[in-house]
Amino acid sequence: MHNTLTRVQNVFGFFTSVAFAVAAAIAMSVLLSPQTPSASLELRNVQVVKGRPHYYSTKREEYAHVKFDLDADLTSLFSWNTKQLFLYITASYPSSDPTIIPPSEAVIWDAIIPSDYAPLHPNTYIHPTSKTAPKPKKSAKGKGKKEVGKPYPAGASPGIVRLDNQKPKYQITDVSGKIAERENATLTLHWNVQPWVGALVWTNTKTVGRWQGLQGGEAKFAFPPLKGTEVKKDDLKTETGGERNRGSPA
Amino acid sequence: MDQLIEQARTIYEGEIDFAGQRLSEFLTHALLTISGVIAFLAGFATQDIYQTLYIGLGGTALTFLVVVPPWPFYNQHPQPWLPVRTGRSALDGVSIEVDGKKLS
Repeated sequence: MHNTLTRVQNVFGFFTSVAFAVAAAIAMSVLLSPQTPSASLELRNVQVVKGRPHYYSTKREEYAHVKFDLDADLTSLFSWNTKQLFLYITASYPSSDPTIIPPSEAVIWDAIIPSDYAPLHPNTYIHPTSKTAPKPKKSAKGKGKKEVGKPYPAGASPGIVRLDNQKPKYQITDVSGKIAERENATLTLHWNVQPWVGALVWTNTKTVGRWQGLQGGEAKFAFPPLKGTEVKKDDLKTETGGERNRGSPA
Repeated sequence: MDQLIEQARTIYEGEIDFAGQRLSEFLTHALLTISGVIAFLAGFATQDIYQTLYIGLGGTALTFLVVVPPWPFYNQHPQPWLPVRTGRSALDGVSIEVDGKKLS
């Protein structure tokens, strides 16, 4: 400490140690707040149609379009250390030989739900508003603040998700290209709590201390046989996420 | 030119005496620990992580201001060095031998 430079070095060095200790304390303090997540996930409709991976591919594969209803209350997952919550719904089904081949799991929908304190970023989820709500008037010049949607329904708080006949974001297929008439499929809700400081935490189904496991959030179904040309193209539209909200060019 | 370099050296060195160095080390530990504790408690009470961030950074800035510049209260106990001796009297009463031969 005999020198200005050594004093600066020592103060900064101890500051980084204190910052690390405070961050560790913040990460551990999350265990004290109780969590009571609950969700009810139901299958609305599933259709299997023939499709291509992309426009120029010659391979023809079967794709499943899974529509669902979700009513979730995940507000207790948001603590002071939560930056955002990543929700995703997967469809999983067993393989033809369960003893040696593990089950397949494919994501059909996901959403990034930030906490109210998190700074704005363009990929966040915009919760669909009910169709009966009045639409905001478009300003004549088109200038001014854009109406930014909230990641939760009006009047609720982050963590409430109410989706009705929701279109999936991704149409799924099997590695072999055949997904029609597969049995014992399950739709499951998962989440990933992304904190400001600390470890990432995934879905917990068991109760750990003050954190209860997820109640509900599963639905069993079976993939139907392949549909022919009677499926309307409108029915097969997928939901677009926040990556589409950036205008052109993205 | 030499005056300028001497001024720059004084600023860079920021000399403080030994008691001052001990005090400055104690102050960095005390101020940073207290600001860390207060930052965590304030944030936990208000459930707002930005409070922790602002209070923690503010406490660190305060610590830098208190500890780094050579304030006068760090120089309260200067080291009592012996007076400088120059000229022939410097070697009075001091005998130096090199390779068995005495130097005058």
